[in-house]
Amino acid sequence: MKTSVTNMKKSCGNLFAAITALAVLAWGIGCGQSREEQATAPPPAQQEAEKVRPRKLESARVTENTRQTYQWYCAQCHGAEGKGDGVNAKFLTVPPRDHTKVAYLETRTDAQLFDAIKFGGLAVGRAPCMPAWGHTLDDDAIRSLVQYIRELCQCEAL
Amino acid sequence: MKTSTFFILIGFLLLAPSSSTAEILRDKDCGSCHRLSVAETEKNFAAPDLHFAGDKFQPAWLKQFLKNPAVIRPAVTVIDTPPRPPVTVADANTAVVTAAGFLRERSGNSPPHPSFSEQDASALADGLMGLKISAPPRESTVAAPLSKRQRAKIKYKFERTFSCISCHQSLNLAGKVRGGISGPSLVNAGNRLRADWIVSWLKTPEAYAAKSRMPRYEMDSVTRNQFSQFLMTLKKENVK
Ligand code: HEC
Ligand code: HEC
Ligand code: HEC
Repeated sequence: MKTSVTNMKKSCGNLFAAITALAVLAWGIGCGQSREEQATAPPPAQQEAEKVRPRKLESARVTENTRQTYQWYCAQCHGAEGKGDGVNAKFLTVPPRDHTKVAYLETRTDAQLFDAIKFGGLAVGRAPCMPAWGHTLDDDAIRSLVQYIRELCQCEAL
Repeated sequence: MKTSTFFILIGFLLLAPSSSTAEILRDKDCGSCHRLSVAETEKNFAAPDLHFAGDKFQPAWLKQFLKNPAVIRPAVTVIDTPPRPPVTVADANTAVVTAAGFLRERSGNSPPHPSFSEQDASALADGLMGLKISAPPRESTVAAPLSKRQRAKIKYKFERTFSCISCHQSLNLAGKVRGGISGPSLVNAGNRLRADWIVSWLKTPEAYAAKSRMPRYEMDSVTRNQFSQFLMTLKKENVK
């Protein structure tokens, strides 16, 4: 377990999504705990997530509403400017993604970002600290948030 | 405010809760920060809604809180629509309070919550317990306590499957406070909240908050009840 956490830590910011996915799945702890506590982790529960299939996302527009939605829901972790520094940030084991970071966001497709928002971090091989918003926001709203994140990073998927 | 609504409101205030317990809430000016009736929809309140206090809280906790207020929302994100006075019950020294008013860049330099003598606290708590809304029908709460295995499973869901801990403080196995601060702390949920209200909140949050920062969840009634049972085991006397 100790090693998988180390992997997790290292792989968080790099391209090897698959490794991260494995590490996250192997890593049985919650979001608010410190690293030392993970030995007490209970067994993995079954996931409600859907499989992430490669596909193209319909494009969407960013409106004032999109920005407000981001401020209202996402800023509590990702920060008002998307820099990953919201109020919850320092209490999470895995930091909220910095939505202005080009190097990382270029490696994610719009569909991947969509799925992360809709189904939550766990469902896409990312940390469970990222909640699922699929019952709060409809698909249009989520698509426009993906576009908004593209605005924040000023980047496209490569 | 439209005049008609104004009169309805006045009418409501004059007619509805006529007991002395409701008066005391008004006397003490609780309504300047808290919503005390469903009818008050015009104003943006600086503090959490209390118009369903009788549905939500345990009376002993209310009384204790009014005698000796303690921080519940470390980041005070209750209602974030300006203008909003910078209020928190926090003693400004608590480390997390620096996060207060996070979206408005406000620091935790606010006046303390009003506190009361034993007698006044009792009267106020009674008054608050009388504030109820016609809430959606309650689900029957499971009576049997969680087995060790069930507790481990629901704790796992709290921390991973549903990311609850990302926004709420709770206790880990070692009795240490862990978790995010954008939602109310749940460290003392077992003394503070009513089990059936927690279930109702998870099922129909819109009955209590027109818009909340908490995600909506779709979960079955068993899971809802287990979350409630799990939260009821969190008590501040278990903090180590
Ligand atoms: C409770 C805290 C929290 C909230 C609220 C939150 N996020 Fe996240 N989010 C995270 C964390 C933590 C990560 C990092 C997960 C990781 O790297 O394993 C993340 C990652 C992401 C990612 C990147 C996923 C990837 O592929 O790496 C996107 C996109 C995202 N969040 C969008 C959003 C949007 C949009 C909202 C608002 C609707 C939101 N988040 C709200 C905590 C949060
Ligand atoms: C100056 C504004 C202000 C006034 C006046 C005020 N409160 Fe509060 N009250 C607050 C704030 C802000 C909180 C939230 C504190 C927190 O969550 O940490 C709060 C929290 C509470 C809570 C806990 C509610 C919850 O959901 O956790 C109760 C109960 C309460 N107040 C009762 C009263 C009563 C009774 C009065 C009148 C005697 C009163 N308050 C007057 C600002 C005020
Ligand atoms: C993205 C942050 C976030 C997540 C994730 C989250 N909550 Fe919340 N929760 C909140 C906020 C903010 C409130 C205050 C709601 C309001 O009054 O508008 C809240 C309120 C509550 C309350 C009522 C507390 C009170 O004192 O008023 C309970 C109980 C609760 N949440 C339980 C849960 C559970 C159980 C989960 C996981 C299934 C969860 N929350 C996930 C942010 C969150």
